[in-house]
Amino acid sequence: MMTRRPVLSSILAALLFLAATAGGAQRLTDQPGYLPLEQLNLFPSDELEVEINLDGPLLNMVAAATKKEDPEFSSVMAGLKSIKVQVFPLKGVDSAGIKPRIGRAVHWLEEKGWKSTIRVKDKGDETYIYLLESGGKIAGLTLLSMSPGDEAVVINIVGRIDPAQLGRLGQNLHLPQLQKVPTQGGAKKPE
Amino acid sequence: MTIETITCDEALDLLEPFVDGELPFAQAEPLRSHLQGCRACAGELALAERIRRELRALPQPDCPPEVIERVVRSGRGEVVPFPARRRSGWRVRIAAAAAVLALAVGGGSLFFNLQQRPDRPDPTQVAQATRDARLALAYLDKVTRKAGLGVRDEVLEKRLVIPAARSVSRSLGEFQAPADETRKELR
Repeated sequence: MMTRRPVLSSILAALLFLAATAGGAQRLTDQPGYLPLEQLNLFPSDELEVEINLDGPLLNMVAAATKKEDPEFSSVMAGLKSIKVQVFPLKGVDSAGIKPRIGRAVHWLEEKGWKSTIRVKDKGDETYIYLLESGGKIAGLTLLSMSPGDEAVVINIVGRIDPAQLGRLGQNLHLPQLQKVPTQGGAKKPE
Repeated sequence: MTIETITCDEALDLLEPFVDGELPFAQAEPLRSHLQGCRACAGELALAERIRRELRALPQPDCPPEVIERVVRSGRGEVVPFPARRRSGWRVRIAAAAAVLALAVGGGSLFFNLQQRPDRPDPTQVAQATRDARLALAYLDKVTRKAGLGVRDEVLEKRLVIPAARSVSRSLGEFQAPADETRKELR
């Protein structure tokens, strides 16, 4: 009996340590809200007009770097674990091949418990926005959009998400590049 | 001089004091005589001598000082209680194993994370990532805004404005135009 308490404490401490380290080492693919774009193979990767892949450590650095100049943007970035964007051009391309792929992704999301927030079909354009809740909070946002003759877009954001805040930030950006497809250095644009 | 003969049982009883050099000459001679003629007892003697040699070859540990102290104190008539022996049962062993496992996993994970994490952020990389993050949010806004317009066209116009216009027109006997044309007029 003399040794029971220290022993139990040791086991508890070891288990807590294990849990803590395991949490720290959790892979992005295991996070709720993660969309396996590589697995879904939505668009041909070598034909993407824009590709953005930002993961947790880089987003933390972005949050730290923008803390003073843009506190709201910084706080959003600090809560995120991943941002992925893929833009596939549909100018002069038959979008019939893309439509079933979008449908497959929608089916995958619904099978995994994502909730449809917006679903619009208008003049051939299709837009789907799905949110995934985990522990009463939004843990993932996925947007799928297809506009024949223009472009198809998929956006997946993983982490602590406040859609209203994201929308507010997006409105304030007014990036002129979006009128025409951007050519950011980090964002992949094939020659 | 005649040497007394002994049996094997008697010879085996004498072997131990013989090997230790404690057997009187009167008993040792009959034993030697017996061993010369008895291979089984000679084998027993060889085994006893070998055991004795190997025991002597073993290292002799020093007596721990606390034992010497205890003996000295006992010699003085002091009552020296034995210290409580620490139990190292299965619980302690499991705890130790769990701690070692946790350290191994935690250390490995920490090492892996440190390997992956750059020591200092590259300002160019961070600036580019900031632009990409803003671009991602702007894309989100662009597409959702477009979807918002779609919602207005699809939901409000088709399902509310146009049906309302139809019903008003019907009631006035004027409605003939197809939905698309009505939509254009409403715009």
